[in-house]
Amino acid sequence: MPLSVSLSIEGDTTVIELTGELDAKTAPDFHQTIEKAAGHGTSTVEIRMAGVGYMASAGLRSLVFAQQKVADHVTIKVVGAIEPVSRTIRTAGLDRSILLSDD
Amino acid sequence: MPSTTVIILDEYPPPPPQLYDALRTMDAELVTRTLPDLMYGDTEELPVADVLLVPAESDGESVRTAVRRLRRRAGAPIVVVWTVAGFAALEEHVRLGHDYLVPPFLPALVGARLHSCSERAGLGRTLREADARAELMGYEKELEIGREIQAGFLPESLPVPEGWEIDVRFRPARQVAGDFYDVFEISRGRRLAVVVADVCDKGVGAALFMALIRSLLRHTAENSGLQHLMAAGRAGGGRRTPVVGATPLLNAVTATNGYLTRNHLRQGYFATLFFGVLDPVTGSLVYINGGHNPPLLLRADGSDPVPLDVTGPAVGVLPDCVYTLGYAQLDPGDTLFVFTDGVPEARCPGGSFLGDERMLDLLAGPPVSGKDVVDRIDLAVREHTGTAEQHDDVTMLALHRPRAARGPRADGAGHRVVA
Repeated sequence: MPLSVSLSIEGDTTVIELTGELDAKTAPDFHQTIEKAAGHGTSTVEIRMAGVGYMASAGLRSLVFAQQKVADHVTIKVVGAIEPVSRTIRTAGLDRSILLSDD
Repeated sequence: MPSTTVIILDEYPPPPPQLYDALRTMDAELVTRTLPDLMYGDTEELPVADVLLVPAESDGESVRTAVRRLRRRAGAPIVVVWTVAGFAALEEHVRLGHDYLVPPFLPALVGARLHSCSERAGLGRTLREADARAELMGYEKELEIGREIQAGFLPESLPVPEGWEIDVRFRPARQVAGDFYDVFEISRGRRLAVVVADVCDKGVGAALFMALIRSLLRHTAENSGLQHLMAAGRAGGGRRTPVVGATPLLNAVTATNGYLTRNHLRQGYFATLFFGVLDPVTGSLVYINGGHNPPLLLRADGSDPVPLDVTGPAVGVLPDCVYTLGYAQLDPGDTLFVFTDGVPEARCPGGSFLGDERMLDLLAGPPVSGKDVVDRIDLAVREHTGTAEQHDDVTMLALHRPRAARGPRADGAGHRVVA
């Protein structure tokens, strides 16, 4: 299943909205968007994942990659991830550096 | 089917009537396109042709651009430039290597010229296909070499202590894998190290990091001293006992995490791993679960499997993070089942996952042997996947302590003498 990625700026937040499946095939699209988002220089990057039904380990790698791309003071938020996706993030321990929130 | 396909360039000037007549009398399919169609149109809609018929007035460089795009689509056509009187413009095309047609446009002459061009185009296509095949074979050979080298980073044979059984299933989704397992002795043969890990992502990148992470873990563990350590359990309290093998375990995982976060953080590769250290004599296990799917401890009495939950984050993500130790006990008849996410996340052709629930159903009841557990789950994974492409590497390891191995008194029940 393909992934659709959209990018917008709302105030001081760069919003990336993902819909579909985040795996080894689709992660490169997300990487490109992250690089663009990092260039915006906002203080928060919000990744809306309510529409992501499945995230493979390649998707986890994208989140680590996102952290590396943005400046140190930038907060990365993952918003609205369904339970299996947020569990994948928590199991790997990425919730220690990425903010997980319901909305 | 016509033997030749000719693209007639729909530019000014149009081909003179005699040339058109000659084209119509030969065995050729004629298609018409403008130069911008060929230069900027959708690649999928470009015609497949042997000959591109161009008026000498067309710009030579633009024609070359069009030919390059057609070549990517299905092989380059031969460019044939015609003119009635524009010989200066024609000369320029001939310098670019284009063929030409000049009056009189007699059907036999035009036909012979275009057929010979068509043969040249066919030859070019054959060469191009042969090149592509050779290139592909080159890549496949390289990948095969990669697979063989990677196999060298998996243990050649497993050191199985007496009274134990170890069964492994390793099925990569591609030629090279991000998953790995390892079993080796530490603390001068007094302890057995058991590792199952999953490097994030797939393909060659994951395979390179697999080789690095496996080597760092094993090298550090094998070369850590024999010191005893007052290891603090996660739950604290009662289990603060010195544990042989805990030092190599902690050293291996923290050193590997430190190395990766110091040197490779930018690349964003990391591994989730389960690293257990077993005392083969007592069956006690000390472990670190770094962000990995909790392995399941299957009890001899068939009670609910006990998950060995995470004790720290995935390795290679967070600098200076703390890994705590987990403890478990394998009694006779127990099996520790360690696996990667390729098992619960196996997908059927319709896209649904095997799932944790189904896995737990399959594992219900007392484990007969490690091999039985591995076989049962592997069969379920393969049946569930069916005709779908294998999505992810599948790795399973079962560490089983058979009942009989320690004799009839193993569980303390002793002999019952029937009078």
